[in-house]
Amino acid sequence: MRRYLIKRFLRSLLSIFIVMTIVFTLVYSVVPRDRVFFSDVNIEKLQKRPDDYLNYKYIQWEKLGYLKYETIQDYCRGLYGDANGEYVRCLLPDSSETKEFVSSKQEEGWEVSFFEESGQAYSFEEISPLKRALNWWANLIQIDSPNRVKSEEATLKRQIYVGKDFNDRLALMCSGCENKYLIYFDQKFPFIHQNIVKLNLGVSYPTYSGQEVLEVITSSQGEKVKQELKEPINGQEASSINYYTCRYKETLDALEKKNFSDHYADCDAIRTDPSMMKISFIMGFISLVLTYVIGLPLGVYMARHQGRWGDRLGQWYIIFMNAIPGLAYIVFIRFIGGKYFGLPSMFPMLGAEDPRSYILPILSLTLGATASRMMWMRRYMIDQSQMDYVKFARAKGLSEREIFSKHIFRNAIIPMVHGIPAAIIFCISGALITEGVYGIPGMGKILPDSISIYNNSMVVGLTFIFTTLSILSTFLGDWLLTKIDPRIRLEDKGGN
Amino acid sequence: MKGRDTILSIRDLEVTFKVRDRQLKAIRRISFDLYRGETLAIVGESGSGKSVLMKSLTGMLESNGTVSGGSIRFFGEELAQKKKPREWESIRGAKIATVFQDPMTSLNPVRTIGSQIVEVMMKHQRCSRKRAKQLAIELMERVGISEAAERFDAYPHEYSGGMRQRIVIAIALACRPQILICDEPTTALDVTVQAQILNLIKQLQQEEGFTTIYITHDLGVVANVADRVAVMYAGQIVEYGEVEEIFYESAHPYTWALLSSLPQLGQKGERLFSLHGTPPSLYHDIVGDAFAPRNQYAMRIDFEEEPPFFEITPTHYAKTWLCDPRVPFFKRPKAIEGLHQKMVMIYQGGNVSGNREERSFSFNSRS
Repeated sequence: MRRYLIKRFLRSLLSIFIVMTIVFTLVYSVVPRDRVFFSDVNIEKLQKRPDDYLNYKYIQWEKLGYLKYETIQDYCRGLYGDANGEYVRCLLPDSSETKEFVSSKQEEGWEVSFFEESGQAYSFEEISPLKRALNWWANLIQIDSPNRVKSEEATLKRQIYVGKDFNDRLALMCSGCENKYLIYFDQKFPFIHQNIVKLNLGVSYPTYSGQEVLEVITSSQGEKVKQELKEPINGQEASSINYYTCRYKETLDALEKKNFSDHYADCDAIRTDPSMMKISFIMGFISLVLTYVIGLPLGVYMARHQGRWGDRLGQWYIIFMNAIPGLAYIVFIRFIGGKYFGLPSMFPMLGAEDPRSYILPILSLTLGATASRMMWMRRYMIDQSQMDYVKFARAKGLSEREIFSKHIFRNAIIPMVHGIPAAIIFCISGALITEGVYGIPGMGKILPDSISIYNNSMVVGLTFIFTTLSILSTFLGDWLLTKIDPRIRLEDKGGN
Repeated sequence: MKGRDTILSIRDLEVTFKVRDRQLKAIRRISFDLYRGETLAIVGESGSGKSVLMKSLTGMLESNGTVSGGSIRFFGEELAQKKKPREWESIRGAKIATVFQDPMTSLNPVRTIGSQIVEVMMKHQRCSRKRAKQLAIELMERVGISEAAERFDAYPHEYSGGMRQRIVIAIALACRPQILICDEPTTALDVTVQAQILNLIKQLQQEEGFTTIYITHDLGVVANVADRVAVMYAGQIVEYGEVEEIFYESAHPYTWALLSSLPQLGQKGERLFSLHGTPPSLYHDIVGDAFAPRNQYAMRIDFEEEPPFFEITPTHYAKTWLCDPRVPFFKRPKAIEGLHQKMVMIYQGGNVSGNREERSFSFNSRS
């Protein structure tokens, strides 16, 4: 068992690695890199200023990891500092520094060019997609430590300590780390949280510009809400700042200086709606439970009364739900629910706080999925009821009810169980059509949207998440099988 | 030989299947008695209705089949009238038990051996789970499972084929049934295990005194275990009698054909006998003798009128016009001449699978 697990774990890592490298290379070599600006609102303003336009592009490309970029400005700033006569002179195209800059960069193998209007020099070096992929892997897991912050401020202490947070609860805190709170407790599930280890999946661009991919899908959305809390400086006050998320910030503005006693001022806000992932998971999971709770017994019932009216009715339902497009019945349910039951036909009408917002979307998700659960359960039951052991059980004198519940069901449920972990885990990936129809801020459309607006880091990050989860859920499914089917064991070899 | 104490009496039994709006008569007016403690073997080719006959005894006909006529009397109960599955629960397993052909698939693969024995005991004997487990372990030991207590919680895939068939027999006998139906119990097993299983059933039969019905087309098994034999053809019994009478003095040409095709009788270099033609379609009413078209001894009357049973001895009956005293002299096929001597020689020679001593014993003791 252990040997098998280790081997399987290594194989899983290898497959994730291969998938990611392929996707990464494809996304960054096949998609032309000019495309990433298609949905950038800032770039239109720069159209008329060719130097700034070009500069902006290179800066974004550098952020996205396409290339390394350096201008004569950076070079001169390094030599003379900002905003003085030397610096201005240094920038000129015919200065001696420019010549040095050009020749040194050319020696390093960089490409050197000059801006159209100002004639200032700039240079860049392409990074090959494969190397970028390796970089991506190297920076994937980030562990916070007191030496993390690169600050020129000498007063910054570098230490990890146990302290009290602003709610007077114990917390593991840090000075010099990226995050102020490394481990903290609150009333939200799972009650203990950490900021030490983080997955760095890249930075989203152009949508959710500047946010990390993982942050985009896991942080709360909507309007800021103010909560009563004890602020570090101002005391009891209503504030929407989530102090637990505070990160180090080198330069503080005036407002921040008023609110924060230290440099940890880069904080997330508390907002009305749950994160994309959470909202999709809540709805997906409730609908999944309902699907199984309703679908399986109905499938069993249909198999037991095969060919009778109950079975026929069920079959009509299955065929109906499979035949008409999802969009059609979702819209229909929304219409009926909105018109005759007074339920909100759009999610934002009552918002994420109100349970009624969830009723129609969950119903829409459940009705379709139930049909397929019924169909498979019925199929497996009927399949099993033809087996010899059923004949023998009947010859033993067991009643039909006993045969179905003790013999056929136990066998028919096996293939159904295998899919459960995947079904639960993939609740987070959301439902494209349902979320679209009800205007739910969930995960459903994030991947298609990211693809269509060339948000490449988002695509890569989501690919990583979904690949990993699907490998994990397949494994959990297999593990679950060993629990209910005595013939299956997770062994390297042998077993029968 | 046996006290003629009838425990099951079948009269004019008819079983009809509805197949795509057509009626198929699988059993056509069968009558026979089963005596307490005996072993009856029912032989016949595939499709002759042996399995259907046995299924009708336990109400296990497929949903499109019904007993359309006749009676099955079992201890004063009329089984032919039972329609609902619930009515059968007190018969199946409790009074009439069945062992099926393939032990590999007869047991539920995801439940423990123990639980599958215990559930039938709890169902029919209404004993506690603890008591049932104790009984089950005893029973497992009796059918030859060593270390039964440890193997109680094992799953079927951890047992060999022979052991599984022992468990199937244990389950069948768990409630001390009066009748045990063995539907080709050894076909799926390899030859050394076959003999063990047959001996086990025989031994248990002596201890418990139940009555056994074998369904088989293996005449070797028949010779080994049966007291009486019934030969079936096209949904009817065409000949029945004591095992020696069927083997050595058979009177029906179909029985001759069956015996002639015994592989054990083949001579090296000669073609083994095979019967030409196919059985008649049971969708139509059959005029005359159903076997007539394939019968090389057929007379004109065979195509016109169905033969009655002719009594050959008080225990031996055959349904063929050849037994009519008016039939002129004819010669039986050469293959079955001196069958007795051949069989004795073969089984003593020991070139037949199975338990040699057991078989030769069963023949010598009766000759």
